[in-house]
Amino acid sequence: MFFVQLKNELLKLFARKRTYIGFGAFVAVECMILLLLQLPRAKKAFRDLLTSNGYGFEEYYSGLTLGLLMILFTGFLLGGLYLALVSGDVVAKEVEEGTMRMILARPISRLRLLWIKWLACVIYTFALVVFIGTTSLLAGVIYRRGLGGLFIFAPQDHLFAVFNTREGLWRFARGILFLSLSAQITSTMGFMFSCFKMRPAAATILTLSVMFMDFVLRNIPYFSSFQNYFITYHTHCWVRTFHDVVPWWSIAESLLYLGALNMTFWIVGAMGFCSRDFKS
Amino acid sequence: MISLKGVTKRFGNRVAVRSLDLEIPRGRIFGLLGHNGAGKSTTIGMLLGQIFPDDGKIFIRGSDVFSERSRALARVGAIFETPAFYDYLSGATNLRILCEYTARSDPGRLKEVIRLVGLESRIHDRVGTYSHGMRQRLALAQALLPDPDLLILDEPNEGLDPEGIHEMRNLILKLNREWEMTILVSSHLLSEMQQLCSHLAVMREGRLLFSDEWHQLKQEQKRIRIGADRQPEAEKELVQAGLVLDFDGNGRGRMANGREPADIAEWLVHHGYRVEVIAPEKRTLEDFYLEMIRAERGG
Repeated sequence: MFFVQLKNELLKLFARKRTYIGFGAFVAVECMILLLLQLPRAKKAFRDLLTSNGYGFEEYYSGLTLGLLMILFTGFLLGGLYLALVSGDVVAKEVEEGTMRMILARPISRLRLLWIKWLACVIYTFALVVFIGTTSLLAGVIYRRGLGGLFIFAPQDHLFAVFNTREGLWRFARGILFLSLSAQITSTMGFMFSCFKMRPAAATILTLSVMFMDFVLRNIPYFSSFQNYFITYHTHCWVRTFHDVVPWWSIAESLLYLGALNMTFWIVGAMGFCSRDFKS
Repeated sequence: MISLKGVTKRFGNRVAVRSLDLEIPRGRIFGLLGHNGAGKSTTIGMLLGQIFPDDGKIFIRGSDVFSERSRALARVGAIFETPAFYDYLSGATNLRILCEYTARSDPGRLKEVIRLVGLESRIHDRVGTYSHGMRQRLALAQALLPDPDLLILDEPNEGLDPEGIHEMRNLILKLNREWEMTILVSSHLLSEMQQLCSHLAVMREGRLLFSDEWHQLKQEQKRIRIGADRQPEAEKELVQAGLVLDFDGNGRGRMANGREPADIAEWLVHHGYRVEVIAPEKRTLEDFYLEMIRAERGG
């Protein structure tokens, strides 16, 4: 029955038009980025960065590089927005519309219900991130007519790396996987707020507020010494998979930190939901 | 079938339900009456485990609704005041999803229930295109899916036209008669409740004022409607003479025990009144309900 219920939950989620806003928005942003990259100034900045470090522009201004670039610049803000939108809805929307009362007239336990709803969020997160990764790469490959090598420059992560096509593609795929794991925190936070007595929009806004506040605080130079307490420091761990020598311990630490936070948010949300009264 | 013992529920400082003791017998149609805010919907919410009582216990078929939820609600169906569905999905998909929260959907059972509520032609259309009456019928269908022996209906006639009300009434009576279902109905439509219910409970401000069989009440207290040339005087003197207990201001009164309409007609004529109307009346549920509320307010 569990998988039947999960399938139904996914059906409810993916049958809603608003679920696809995120998918559509990312395709639009990807096209816009590619369009802007056609501008001579943008290309020149890229060319100067590569050639000044001894790398060929034509080889590394590639489908792979552009694909990764699009994810780097849009993943946090846009990805966070659409994940918070869907996860903030998952419980609160059903309460608001009254379908939650219909469900809870059945002898299903509240915990079981939350469990399948949260899993649906997890699957959505994974699907959105994979979609972003796939379409970014596809857009880049179509624009540059090929994969090419992978170049990544992320100064805040002390990252400057180049890879050949094969290694670059493997790193790209792996990076997407780690991004989908670290993005779960946004979904679970939205899910947690959704379990409380608030409107779906409030749950979404609260989630985004927490994430943005965390991001802002992390980037204040005076707080650099305790940046590993910030959520967004750990959600950025997927970028570290592009280092020449991958700091696996650091990435594992980040994922454990996020995993513990996920569990905490889930428990807090479940406590809130299981103690609520549902009236008309 | 249903037993509530000392059930209390507060929302902040407001007591929504106060020490409610109520027994609902198996196989009956039981009406729950009360004004807006009397505690009816809160009581139904607690029965379904959606609202947690602050005190007391609730049992369905001997199982505690909160500690033995699966067993208590296993064969319970419910309709709410404004039934909600996934408007972007079809009626059939809605039914299947709701059913599968507790058991695999049986296509045969789905078909049977859809046929019973008369939604065959529209069941594959999106619920967002349904009329209010169709939504109510879909709500009844989802309540009947678990093959319930207990049906809880909170304002089932809300928003229905007269034809819809008539259909709903006949369906409820049929379910009770042919399927031997216990049915708990909460409604404001006293005329409907009078036609449906064998047992009644009246709530006011969270308290239970009354709970008994309706046919017992019908037989208590005979009523009469009189019309005389000096109406106010006639009413006053009839009460003073002990023939009538009281009048409602519209010429309708409750006869004293042991008195018949002929006694009243004789008295009026004997005392020089010109009798224009004298007619025994059956007590309606509305009469009973309003009397009860007035007595409660007066007390």
